[in-house]
Amino acid sequence: MESRFWTHQVSSDTESDDDQSEVDEEEAPIVGDGGTGGAGSKYLTRASLSDSDESDEKQRVVRSAKDKRFEEMAVTTEQMKNQMKINDWVQLQESFDRLNKQLEKVIRVTESDTVPRLYIKGLVMLEDFLAQTLANKEAKKKMSSSNAKSLNYMKQKLKKNNKLYEVEIEKFRLNPESEADAEQEDEDDDDLDSGGDFSDEEPVAIAGGYSDSDEEGEEGEEEGEGGWETKKSKKDSMMDKQFKRDPSEISWDMVDKKLKEIIAARGRKGTDRAEQVEQLSYLARVAKTPAQKLEVMVHVVSAQFDVNPSLNTHMPIPVWKKCVQNVLIILDILAQYPNIIMDETSDLEMENETQKGADHDGPIHVWGNVVAFLERIDDELFKSLQCIDPHTKEYVERLRDEPLFMVLAQNVQRYVERLYDMKAAARVALRCVEHVYYKPQEVYEAMRKLAEIRASPDAATAETEAAADGDDDFDEEAKHVKLPAEVKGPPSFVVTPEIVPRTPSFPNLSRLLMDQLVGTIYKHGDERTKARAMLCDIYHHAISDEFHTARDLLLMSHLQDSVQHMDISTQILFNRAMAQLGLCAFQASLVTEAHGCLSELYASGRVKELLAQGVAQSRYHEKNPEQEKLERRRQMPFHMHINLELLEAVHLICAMLLEVPNMAANAHDIKRKLISKPFRRLLDINERQTFTGPPENVRDHVMAATHALGKGTWQKAVEVIQGLDVWKLLTKRDFVLEMLKSKIQEEALRTYLFTYSSFYDALSLDQLMTMFELPEAHVHSIVSKMMIAEELHASWDQPTRSIVTHNVEPSRLQALAAQFAEKLTVLVESNERAFDARTGGGGLEGMSMGRRNKDGQDYANVASGRRGGDFSGGNRDRQGSYSAYNSGGGRSNYGTGRGGQSRGGRGNAGGSGYYRDQRAGQVGARNNLGYQSTRYQDAYSSVGRTPYQTGPASSTGANRGAQADATGRMVSLTHGGTRPSAHF
Amino acid sequence: MTTTSTPMRSFAQAASAEEIAVPSRVVQIDGLVALKIIKHCKECMPALVTGQLLGLDIGSILEVTNCFPFPSRGGEEEEEVEADGANYQLEMMRCLREVNVDNNTVGWYQSTYMGSFQTVELIETFLNYQENIKRCVCIIYDPLRSGQGVLALKALKLSDSFMELYRTQVFTGEKLREKNMTWKDIFEEIPVKISNSVLVSALMTELESDAPASQCDFDRLVLSTNPFMEKNLEFLIECMDDLSMEQQKFQYYYRNLSRQQVQQQSWLQKRRAENVARRLSGEELLPEEDPSNPIFKTLPEPSRLDSYLITNQIANYCGQVNGFAGQSLSKMYLMDAFHQD
Repeated sequence: MESRFWTHQVSSDTESDDDQSEVDEEEAPIVGDGGTGGAGSKYLTRASLSDSDESDEKQRVVRSAKDKRFEEMAVTTEQMKNQMKINDWVQLQESFDRLNKQLEKVIRVTESDTVPRLYIKGLVMLEDFLAQTLANKEAKKKMSSSNAKSLNYMKQKLKKNNKLYEVEIEKFRLNPESEADAEQEDEDDDDLDSGGDFSDEEPVAIAGGYSDSDEEGEEGEEEGEGGWETKKSKKDSMMDKQFKRDPSEISWDMVDKKLKEIIAARGRKGTDRAEQVEQLSYLARVAKTPAQKLEVMVHVVSAQFDVNPSLNTHMPIPVWKKCVQNVLIILDILAQYPNIIMDETSDLEMENETQKGADHDGPIHVWGNVVAFLERIDDELFKSLQCIDPHTKEYVERLRDEPLFMVLAQNVQRYVERLYDMKAAARVALRCVEHVYYKPQEVYEAMRKLAEIRASPDAATAETEAAADGDDDFDEEAKHVKLPAEVKGPPSFVVTPEIVPRTPSFPNLSRLLMDQLVGTIYKHGDERTKARAMLCDIYHHAISDEFHTARDLLLMSHLQDSVQHMDISTQILFNRAMAQLGLCAFQASLVTEAHGCLSELYASGRVKELLAQGVAQSRYHEKNPEQEKLERRRQMPFHMHINLELLEAVHLICAMLLEVPNMAANAHDIKRKLISKPFRRLLDINERQTFTGPPENVRDHVMAATHALGKGTWQKAVEVIQGLDVWKLLTKRDFVLEMLKSKIQEEALRTYLFTYSSFYDALSLDQLMTMFELPEAHVHSIVSKMMIAEELHASWDQPTRSIVTHNVEPSRLQALAAQFAEKLTVLVESNERAFDARTGGGGLEGMSMGRRNKDGQDYANVASGRRGGDFSGGNRDRQGSYSAYNSGGGRSNYGTGRGGQSRGGRGNAGGSGYYRDQRAGQVGARNNLGYQSTRYQDAYSSVGRTPYQTGPASSTGANRGAQADATGRMVSLTHGGTRPSAHF
Repeated sequence: MTTTSTPMRSFAQAASAEEIAVPSRVVQIDGLVALKIIKHCKECMPALVTGQLLGLDIGSILEVTNCFPFPSRGGEEEEEVEADGANYQLEMMRCLREVNVDNNTVGWYQSTYMGSFQTVELIETFLNYQENIKRCVCIIYDPLRSGQGVLALKALKLSDSFMELYRTQVFTGEKLREKNMTWKDIFEEIPVKISNSVLVSALMTELESDAPASQCDFDRLVLSTNPFMEKNLEFLIECMDDLSMEQQKFQYYYRNLSRQQVQQQSWLQKRRAENVARRLSGEELLPEEDPSNPIFKTLPEPSRLDSYLITNQIANYCGQVNGFAGQSLSKMYLMDAFHQD
């Protein structure tokens, strides 16, 4: 301890030493023995004077942990300052790292997520200094190599680091003096204000200010700028001034000039964004020509988007509404003057284009992009729904703005269609689709009604209102947004009548709307738009209980092959569609299919994340704030959520219905064929419990039912399953419950036969009927099916109505021998291959070739799947991908059986084995879907029947293929490994 | 190999028959020692136990005249147990010396379960012993198999060539080929001879009952085959799994190797082309080998030891199954004949 202090005094900036003592201090109590007291005082002295050596005094200071941390930070920043003076980048780099470490501590202590101002100050200081140093080329050259290295390091590090705190730094730069907290509040207030009241008071001021500066003539921009600031405070006096002025005196030039001025100020430091909006909207009112008005309006909308600078928070709702109205006005103008052309290619610099009046004949070009506006508006709506607490009235209110958006979207679409810009039309249509696809018919109906109710009073008042329009049941704010505009502001110079409809037109059925929109997209959209539209379509079909249509769409589009190459939000959409498809299949009592759809989602145990319905807490790795932010931005708004409990219940019940008979059938070798890994895991956990209480959550219920089913007491299983709360979420509740009961009865019968048939010589049909309360035909069909599938070695004895069992079940020894023989074949195969390799037959080569082939196939799948998405053409492409899919599928299907059996052998990489199974399972599931789809086959019978049939028929060939694949599948392991993550 | 290969004879018969000396090295076990080993192994049956063999090494005959068991290890901490074990061993030896019993360690014995003893651990223990005792031996006793009326007692040692190889720790294919070693050459089985002092033999004759058959003979007639076969098969399956795992390792290795060779070739070609160009322009040639390049790093070849051991183990199981099946079949025929009567 002592010696360390000593060295410390000698060289106060040996940093490693410093670090050490710091750590030490942290462990020790705040007021400790002499040593720690000294450590504390060291900081004190350092803060004041770095070269004084008064640590002998050993002052004892008691401070709170928080203060201490802050002080540490202060010290570090002080040090940094000194180091800057001597231009010592090596030390600076260390100080910077330390500062970051201290930041973590401070945040931990204060338990808030706002970054201390001190830290920001340090960052700003560093940034400035860095810029300064970099600018000074001379000095840079003179630097020592280590110093230069550190400088470079710092350059990169700081850039990265500062990105995280961009907003705070911005704030700090704006206002370096003020106190952090106060500023924070100010900022918030500003936002609120700008949302709520700028439209009723400030326009006055601006108008005043504007006319004022105008009167002063060309006295200079600075003064004008200053005028804006001062006038704002004395708005009362300005009121009269403004009224005195006749808007007609304002010329086009004046407006143009002012507009340019305002635009130039945009994004500059110290510009009040809300104020800018007001200035612009005033300008819009006094604009001389329609084209000019349009131009100004475009800038108004852009300025409104700027009001909220952060990516994480949403635009204030009133601003949003105004923004929508403004875009509508833009559309009005565009509709009224078809010769005005708005596009992004128009030259901004083109002078006096907007001077051309309404009666101008030729085309007038104005810069702007309505579709981009629309998309931004939609994003803001989405964001606001993400941010607002879904359990408040505010959320509901917000949801009611959706029709408003739909109006806008429909109008924009009409506009772009008029221009024959079909690509844009597809984009707009997608936005609409994404607002409709998740709504079942009832919800859609409600939305339609809401829109209609709004429309009727609106129609009555529509004529009386000029520029600003309003729906009567807009909330209060909207009303007084509109009112002052009429009373206080000067009447708009260019009057724009409402040409585009202000009410959305919805067809009766959501399906109709969907078909219409999706049709447009399929025709004109780009790859991503089409994929998303397809997924929405699938989702929508799934919620309207059209499982087969939805499934066929999914299979034909080959989205499941290509989705892992898409962006995350599309992957989320895909996951959602799959989940909904699973629910749909379940309601259509297709258990296997439902399980096939859902098992993949549940394989990783991160359903929440995969569906973007909440941030999963991961125990193993901490996410950095950036990742977390990204993730939060992806979340689905609450009203679009798929009920997770229902989903889990459906998944587990499907797994139970499949797994229980399966376990009974493979009692010899229970681990041999897994259908649902998560289910087995849950079962294991459940069985390990010493005491199982009454079921509480979904899992418990299903586990209890599983045990009951395994024992054959199906009544209890039915009771437990039907006791679940989630069923009330289903519309077809009674049907589902009934379906569940009969399914459970069937599976109980199968389980019973699997387990006990070997103990019987004969079973009476009537006995079975009474035991499982199933009708005769049902029992008969189940038993017959089992006989055909060779699951049950028995035959019917019709006269006595009984099943005669032939107990040819292999004894354990036989089963083992069979297993052994299988292992041997595997070994022999690989030996042969090794031998081939040795004798130059290129066995190993072939193996790797096989792998490559398979890889190639995958890519082919993906590629053609992508092309296959183009429905209007490319039959041959689809054929190609279809056969590829089938041969791949057939093979891996074989692999499921095989993979299971030889798992022990190849399970050396335990984790990868898991993935393989998972993948194989999912392929199997996919095949199931494929095989049962008659429509699917029909659709392709003319095209690709042959590969389909030859695939499974030449099973010996497939045999070899599958085995040759044994290693080849290692690729698909990694493939499968990335798959779940790729979905996210 | 004597006792085990003629299992149909009774213990006494076997013991007396083995009096004839075998030309090569022989392990001569005292009857008492054999009984002690059997007792120890049988009593701790599910657990596998070990013990020390004491005796004398006289010429070609290794006499085992005494033994003592090691305390069985509980679930305590490894180190402690090890220290305890060593202490116990030393203490025991001291005691034995004091009462003037042979206290020269000649090896150890251990029980096994269905002959699953060919492991790396065994080899390592062996080498440990080998360090101090030139000619040591390991006696392996299988209590389960003995239950079928066979004295499953084996004396093993590592072959000299293998030991030499093991010390180098290189088990590449080439090396093995060089040494001409196959999997059979790892262990050497030494014939076991059980000897009794004259007095004991006399006592045995005295004790021998007049009944035509002993319990051991009846044991041999048990007709149940399943448990034994099942167990063996299970072990075999396990072995196959292990073996294919080993095989995979090799496949992986070879694949990497061929890939590396392809890379090397292409690199070399490039280099040569470059050299040609350089020669034309009169510059100095670049070397055709670049040790710093990662593609020239030799890949480590996986050890073959494991696969050898597994193969040994498989051979062992197969032998057991074969032997057992042969016996069972003859028993079946016998039974068949009885039934027909």
